[in-house]
Amino acid sequence: MSDKKPETKKRLKTSEKLGKLMADYYTESAMVKAQKKPVAWLSSVAPVEVCYTMDVFPIYPENYGTMCAARKLSAEFCAAAEAKGFSTDLCSYALNNLGSIYLNKGPFMGQGLPEPDLLIATEHACLSMAKWWEELSRHFNVPLYIVDAALPVGEDPSPHHINYFAEQLRELMGFVEEHTGNKFDMDKFKEVLGYSDEASRLFLEIGGLRKTVPSPISPIEIFTNMFPIVTLAGKKEAVEFYNELYAEISELAERKEAAVPNEKYRLLWDLFPIWYNLNLFKYIEEKGGVVVADVYATTFGGRVDISRPFEGLAERYVGNPLLSYGVQQKTELYKQMIKEYHVDGVIFHSNRSCRMASMGQYDVKQGIYEDLGIPGAIFESDFVDPRSYSDEQVKDTLDSFFEILESRG
Amino acid sequence: MIKDFQERYAKRHELAREWKKEGKRIFGYFCGYAPEELIDAAGIIPVRILGSLDKVTLADSHLQSFICAFGRSCLDQGLKGTYDYLDGIVTSKTCDIMRNMPSIWSRNIEIPFVGYIGAPAKRTKAARECLIADFKVLQSKLEEFIGKSIDDDSINQSIETYNESRKLLKELYEIRGKDNSPLSGSDFYHVVRAGFVTPKKEYNKMLSSLKGELISSKSSRDGKVRFLVSGSTFEDVNILKMIEEVGGSIVADDLCIGSRYFWDLVEPASDPIRSLANRYQMRIACPCKHPSEERMERILEEVKKHRVEGVISIVQKYCDTHLFEYPYMRDVLQKNDIPFLYLETEDRLGEEGQFKTRVQAFIEMLR
Repeated sequence: MSDKKPETKKRLKTSEKLGKLMADYYTESAMVKAQKKPVAWLSSVAPVEVCYTMDVFPIYPENYGTMCAARKLSAEFCAAAEAKGFSTDLCSYALNNLGSIYLNKGPFMGQGLPEPDLLIATEHACLSMAKWWEELSRHFNVPLYIVDAALPVGEDPSPHHINYFAEQLRELMGFVEEHTGNKFDMDKFKEVLGYSDEASRLFLEIGGLRKTVPSPISPIEIFTNMFPIVTLAGKKEAVEFYNELYAEISELAERKEAAVPNEKYRLLWDLFPIWYNLNLFKYIEEKGGVVVADVYATTFGGRVDISRPFEGLAERYVGNPLLSYGVQQKTELYKQMIKEYHVDGVIFHSNRSCRMASMGQYDVKQGIYEDLGIPGAIFESDFVDPRSYSDEQVKDTLDSFFEILESRG
Repeated sequence: MIKDFQERYAKRHELAREWKKEGKRIFGYFCGYAPEELIDAAGIIPVRILGSLDKVTLADSHLQSFICAFGRSCLDQGLKGTYDYLDGIVTSKTCDIMRNMPSIWSRNIEIPFVGYIGAPAKRTKAARECLIADFKVLQSKLEEFIGKSIDDDSINQSIETYNESRKLLKELYEIRGKDNSPLSGSDFYHVVRAGFVTPKKEYNKMLSSLKGELISSKSSRDGKVRFLVSGSTFEDVNILKMIEEVGGSIVADDLCIGSRYFWDLVEPASDPIRSLANRYQMRIACPCKHPSEERMERILEEVKKHRVEGVISIVQKYCDTHLFEYPYMRDVLQKNDIPFLYLETEDRLGEEGQFKTRVQAFIEMLR
């Protein structure tokens, strides 16, 4: 284990349960091959509910990337992918994953992930996912299904965009049937969607509790508690977990117990954490800043209209604001969050690995400042690859930002 | 003659401002997946928004340094007012940069019309229907903008004009591939690029007379090494010129500003929108699309057909989709015993020496 344990282990009772959920999941992942259960590798924002409906074990290489980064393995893995010809400018989630495959190494029992029987990705999050999964498909020589989210960014999706996504979800069920022999069952699907929706609802409500001053939950706690909503959406366990977490956090909120002492500046965080340096939040906290809102974790939640299972699930994915908003809509969303969460300033993590989501940050920052007078700071780094990370530069940016916040009183 | 094409492109903004004075409407589009025929059928002149070799200054406060030089330069040109004659922009969701560009553009640059096409990435039937619906939405938006309907006849006429361009470009492509061709790869780049900024009817006349002229002229490229050039957009033709100057000859391509743009014709279907959707969905795929095998197969076919001795890939730094496909392309070519050279650019030739040495060494190896 890492020498720097997340602080959740100390503070929240529920975090013990989170540890167990993760351990169970990865223990199962280690045995799943022996049990001859089909394994699918999913990109983020790919519909994991399909896997739970079809009794396929889902693996998220991206989630795994965050763990490799936390365990300080990502630099070695990224370099291994680069040695095969993948550019260092590519997404480090991808480089980390490909490198860990080439080296057959990983944070669990020293081994890589169980090999996929199926590959499912969506280019909704970014095009790199489709390209990365195509490469996986060539490497493992296993079938690939890409869920294509054609939709106009910055405009509301039309019904035909929802229909196209829904149509592909149907096709995907058929794809899984064809390659696993497991049969699709509508009742099972609805049950899975029910759990997924309920976990989402709870997760969003937990996020909403951060509106309380002082915030009852820290950013590290939010980010580490994302595991179930990403990986276990559609499982009963995720609902049980978030029920408990909600109960615990709402009790803290009622008692006005601060997750971080001396909450002076309430901050909005755009976008990814630096997975190998979650301690940056500690640095921010030393300065009196607490991240009380973020769009990253929030967007993994999303309600599903179960009465129209395929369309409902499509709407959930297509409607993800992080992925379908243009800068104007994002600015409006952030402004609303700033008001609701009583935010004093915005920190933008410009992530070299994610051109898709980092593009436009300067305009959003500017728009927020013009409309609300709320200042923002942008710093650049990479979320998984630590090789060019400059702690001094990042801290310099944050220091000047806190000077601005201080001068505003 | 090539000078005419070169001049067209060099004077594109001046010319556009003249059209504007004549009362014409002009739209800019960002990539080869925008259905120009629909814009043309609305009586609007479509021009492709491209960058320039000028230093990027204004875009720096909007886009990070890890956004490709092409995207940064396009926006920079917009911010500098170079495209102030545009009445609208139309874009298709292709790469992640193009995906975000319209909202950043329209927040900072006054533009009366923004048309955004969802543009499915796949080649399936469901994707086709989605694209048809996308085009219909664009059509009605355009109709609202011009205040009248766009009938099938005008779309069909535009299709015919555009197909004529494509046929002529394909003929020129074949002429370029011949032994002792009088048309070089860098010249052809000028020819293709002029088409982005010239009304197509006029452009077709230019293409026809070029064709006539080329058929009667001769030039020798004996002893030159035959290359296929593949890759993303780049602004600087000198990259191709340099390859030719050190003993290479470009006889085929898989370029964004090249065959990928004009190769596929619009074939008649039950109605013109469907014909267009078929074409834009099934055209030679940019690496933004899925799957990628067909593009590689075409490269192999072109290599065979044009007796290509080596493939040179010219890729824009930070172009994720091209970068992701580089090891794949390398392996496919290796498996087929086709020598391969990979060059990464930031829109320009840059420090000439470095590229030149690598191309020279590649040519030495092939001789």
